Amino acid sequence: MLASAIALAVAAPASAQSLAIVHAEAWTMEGDTPVRDATILVDGSRILSVTPAGEVPAGVRTIDARGKPVTPGLVNGATQIGLVEISGSDDTVDTASHDERNPGDDVSRALNGNSTLISLARADGITRALVYPSPSRHAPFSGEPAFARLRDGVDILDVANVGVYAVIGGGAWDRLGSRAVQWSALRNALEEARRGMDDGDAGRKGGKKDHGDRPPGGGRHAGAELIRGVLAGEVPLAIQTHRESDIRQAVALAEDFGIRAIIVGGAEAWRAADALAKAKVAVVLDPLVNLPFNFDQLGARQDNAALLVKAGVRVAVGQAGGAIHANYNAGMGLREGAGIAVANGLSYIEALRAVTVNPLAIWGRGGGVLTPGADADLVVWDGDPLEPSTNAVSVIVEGRETSTRSRQDLLAERYRDAH
Amino acid sequence: MKRNRIGLGAVLMAAVALALPAGAQRAAPLPWQEDPFPSRYHAPPPDDMLLRGATILDGAGGRIDGGDVLIRGGKIAAVGKGLANPGVREVDAVGRWVTPGVIDVHSHDGTFVLPLTSIDREASDVSEVATPNSADTWIETAVNAQDMAFDRALSNGVTTIQILPGSTPIFAGHSVVVKPVRAPTVWGMKATGGVQGFKMACGENPKSWGADDDNEGPTSRQGVVSYMRQQFLNARRYKRAVEQARAGAGIMPPRDLKLEALAGILSGDVRVNVHCYRAGDIAAVLTIAREFGFRVGAVHHATEAYKIPGLLREAGTCAAVWADWWGFKLEAQDAVRAEAPLLERAGVCVMMHSDSPADGQRLNIAAAKAAAAGRRIGIDTPPETMIKWTTSNPAKLLGLDKRIGTIAPGFQADVVLWSGDPFSVYSRADLVLIDGAVAWDRARPPSRPISDFELGRGGVEP
Repeated sequence: MLASAIALAVAAPASAQSLAIVHAEAWTMEGDTPVRDATILVDGSRILSVTPAGEVPAGVRTIDARGKPVTPGLVNGATQIGLVEISGSDDTVDTASHDERNPGDDVSRALNGNSTLISLARADGITRALVYPSPSRHAPFSGEPAFARLRDGVDILDVANVGVYAVIGGGAWDRLGSRAVQWSALRNALEEARRGMDDGDAGRKGGKKDHGDRPPGGGRHAGAELIRGVLAGEVPLAIQTHRESDIRQAVALAEDFGIRAIIVGGAEAWRAADALAKAKVAVVLDPLVNLPFNFDQLGARQDNAALLVKAGVRVAVGQAGGAIHANYNAGMGLREGAGIAVANGLSYIEALRAVTVNPLAIWGRGGGVLTPGADADLVVWDGDPLEPSTNAVSVIVEGRETSTRSRQDLLAERYRDAH
Repeated sequence: MKRNRIGLGAVLMAAVALALPAGAQRAAPLPWQEDPFPSRYHAPPPDDMLLRGATILDGAGGRIDGGDVLIRGGKIAAVGKGLANPGVREVDAVGRWVTPGVIDVHSHDGTFVLPLTSIDREASDVSEVATPNSADTWIETAVNAQDMAFDRALSNGVTTIQILPGSTPIFAGHSVVVKPVRAPTVWGMKATGGVQGFKMACGENPKSWGADDDNEGPTSRQGVVSYMRQQFLNARRYKRAVEQARAGAGIMPPRDLKLEALAGILSGDVRVNVHCYRAGDIAAVLTIAREFGFRVGAVHHATEAYKIPGLLREAGTCAAVWADWWGFKLEAQDAVRAEAPLLERAGVCVMMHSDSPADGQRLNIAAAKAAAAGRRIGIDTPPETMIKWTTSNPAKLLGLDKRIGTIAPGFQADVVLWSGDPFSVYSRADLVLIDGAVAWDRARPPSRPISDFELGRGGVEP
């Protein structure tokens, strides 16, 4: 009796280490190579340690990775999961604001963790995703993206209002006519916000930036206020654009206003790689694209990522696979895209960074690593995570094992013996 | 069982083809047996070679590790281990894989031409939508041979593409089968020797078009099905009248290009590819086919075919499927990535298809995704089976299975030498042969074929 009481007391500190993964090929993202036969200890929602052949404290739930890769949870750099159920049916889609009065569209309030797109993306190893809005009636602005954290359950908000999203170029989204007018509208909005800030600063001298009540989930208010956040360097301005001339305009705008800019799409970004590197403008791109959807993308090629990284541009994968896959296969498309980037000259470790560390860093977040103190978002794979033939075995979000059975798995199981 | 039916069809077809030149006294072919737009494709001079030491997936279910393939005069001359070299170029293929060329049975290349413009959005060549019955159209008369999608397909190991009209009309028209080689017109790419294909559609696409203001056509599933039956009834009457007139027992009716095409379906000379998603839609179309006595070649997309494999198996109908297009419309809600392994297991002839110039470059990767999803529910599919989904099974649908889709002596040498496992995302098509001639060589500049469209445009090349 006494002995077992002592045993319990000894075990108590260990029980805080809620999870252990052993025999992992651990891609911590610190170096360029994995830690072999690693023991990964998870304490609550954080990584406690990653140690070669490390001991596992008694009583801790243990997952045997059997020597297979374990990576940080993958991060999609640009998708619309959580806002879309049936893209062909407007009444199940919350991607775009039709509000004539307000330039803001804070997508965080529409996120739906119960969506079938979310459970499939998670089963494919995605634990976080940058969710962006579609073009609003205030061209060129779309609204404000948010990070989703693909935990089980309906609440998948990680953080709202992580940037301001604009779209510039020719084609179906063009709501102002010439792209010259689109650029002018964007610059005017920034100028106007800057004047407003100058006036405001004069009014409350020395005061801290006041964003009023913070919306639930943290972050900032959307709309005009967040544009001031862009000017203050708090959040990036994301410009979805493809043509070389527009990418160079984006670089010039970033330099003129001293703001942090991101290119999303960037089919011809490789042609402006040096300028992007010099201005520290990052690119979120689809490595699968080698056919131009429109005339803005004539230079689309699958070594875009490799050429950009070689020039020193930070690259993340997003919108991978285009129209259908970018949302419906937000996990598989991301992995396939990163794999294709490797097949076209990107180093393996840079491809892994483009789906872990980089999308978070580009959108102003940390993490995407397996290091002590990092968020315990990680995936145990049954093979190379960039191979579409690989399955995620365990997907752990904030230290909790999540469901990896999607609706598709359940349907396939139900009809497995149909004849 | 299903294979026998397809095999029988092919034999009959071959018998007809052989009989025609011999029987000079015979009547001319019936109107629906004629090709109004003959091919002008000529195989280039062959590049004889011996691929040495590869992992060979022969496309028909066989695998040889460390095997050789001898290609001579445009054909596969021999397959095996330690083949003697009769004095041809020898390619060291150790560590590399050899498969038949990939066949994509569902493409809109040349009609859904990227980059898209507002001109395409106003009036597209993907299908003729003035009426739900466009049975008289031949998609090849719209194909832009300068579509760079052909080049992307070729450099990713695709050697045969069936271009179908779209799924807006119920009867969408004739397909064309092409080789993705550079030619000024589609007829310089057109493959011969197969069965003429035809496109039909059911479900949301045709009914939504009909429901739009000012458009002709039914507005519901039941309306679409009824429309199909009425048109086949008309065609049956027309076909009998033509056949009786040929036999001297009546007056030849005036030519009607729509009825001719449908008569060709009823006679088995024209093979139906039908776009359907839901199980009920598939079952309804298969029932109509039985009523009118023809076999549907394949159900395309076939999203819910995994729920009714027996119906397809018994009808001798194949399923042309995606790995992972799902959810984007209501009738695609129940798509599962494991569909191909589920159908394979149930004995259905299944194949991957693309419907997309992007995904058409990676049909083997689609097969890899499908197989991985199968593994999640305890169905393991070996590579030598997976490769059937992109080679010999699609060849059967096209009626070309005695010519392509398999690496065996006598077959046309449509062959790919991959840098590695063809189901790996990292593997590249090092060498692509069409009719035994090098159509794509990754080691030789330019690094990719260039269409007229791309030539000399700023922004395209470094």
